[in-house]
Amino acid sequence: MDGKPMNNTVQPESEASLIEDLKQGDSTAYQKAVREFSPGMLAVARFYLDHSSAEEIVQDCWVTVIDAVQKFEGRSGLKTWLHRIVANRCKNRLRTANREIATDFSETLEPELANRFNSKGRWDLPPKLQFHDSADRLMENGALSDCLDKHLSALPETQRSALMLYEAHQHKSDDVCNILDVSASNLRVLLHRARQKIFLMVETFQETGEC
Amino acid sequence: MLMCRDLAEIASDYIDGELNGPRSLSVKMHLMICKDCRTFIGNLRASSNLLSAHSSGKADEEFLRRIDERVAEALSVRKNKGSDSE
Repeated sequence: MDGKPMNNTVQPESEASLIEDLKQGDSTAYQKAVREFSPGMLAVARFYLDHSSAEEIVQDCWVTVIDAVQKFEGRSGLKTWLHRIVANRCKNRLRTANREIATDFSETLEPELANRFNSKGRWDLPPKLQFHDSADRLMENGALSDCLDKHLSALPETQRSALMLYEAHQHKSDDVCNILDVSASNLRVLLHRARQKIFLMVETFQETGEC
Repeated sequence: MLMCRDLAEIASDYIDGELNGPRSLSVKMHLMICKDCRTFIGNLRASSNLLSAHSSGKADEEFLRRIDERVAEALSVRKNKGSDSE
């Protein structure tokens, strides 16, 4: 796996101390953990459920955590453990409602990108510009950041959740597959489709300055 | 022979190091001779890094406050139960 950049998540030593505080029922520790982990938990829930049900599940999960954390032995990280609790709750709810997630894993290329190749499989419309700036430099551009937000919200939930867990929340592929209950090959399709959409968005933004 | 479209289909697998040796080698050989695909792979990688750098930690403050309230309530119930049993 290529080295993914580290983000500012709770470090192992402080995670151990956070877990101990949660076990003690420290309300400040809960507030910290709620802010640190809820966005990821919501991303997991949104893979399965609509926005309002997803928020409800995340709230319920935090209440469950108060008792469940007493038995948490740290075999996985706290983040992975919390995400699994959310995923299991969502799967139970879907089972109760007898619903399944419908996702198309058959096409690996976005139609907009697929149309840029000729019949021989060569580029007809190759990428014109190179994204020169580093990710951090690009993110300093507020308009691009807003545009990224807009496009992320427009992604199908399945793609967005996979992307958020893998890229933003830095889960390993195995964990994402486990949490979202998708096969490794289907996860690859979800990630690739989502990245292509972001690639196309940045390209349009760099070429035209428009979102 | 690997064509540009084939490479575009497996580009994320290449970036993430998920391709086996021979497949990865065929991508590398193609990249040596194809500037357009080099640009594509570079831009797709930049898009991936952009997503990692983009803050994922944004959640609606009102939603977080509602969780705080539920948690505070549950902690208080738990504490009372504990003191009742002592």
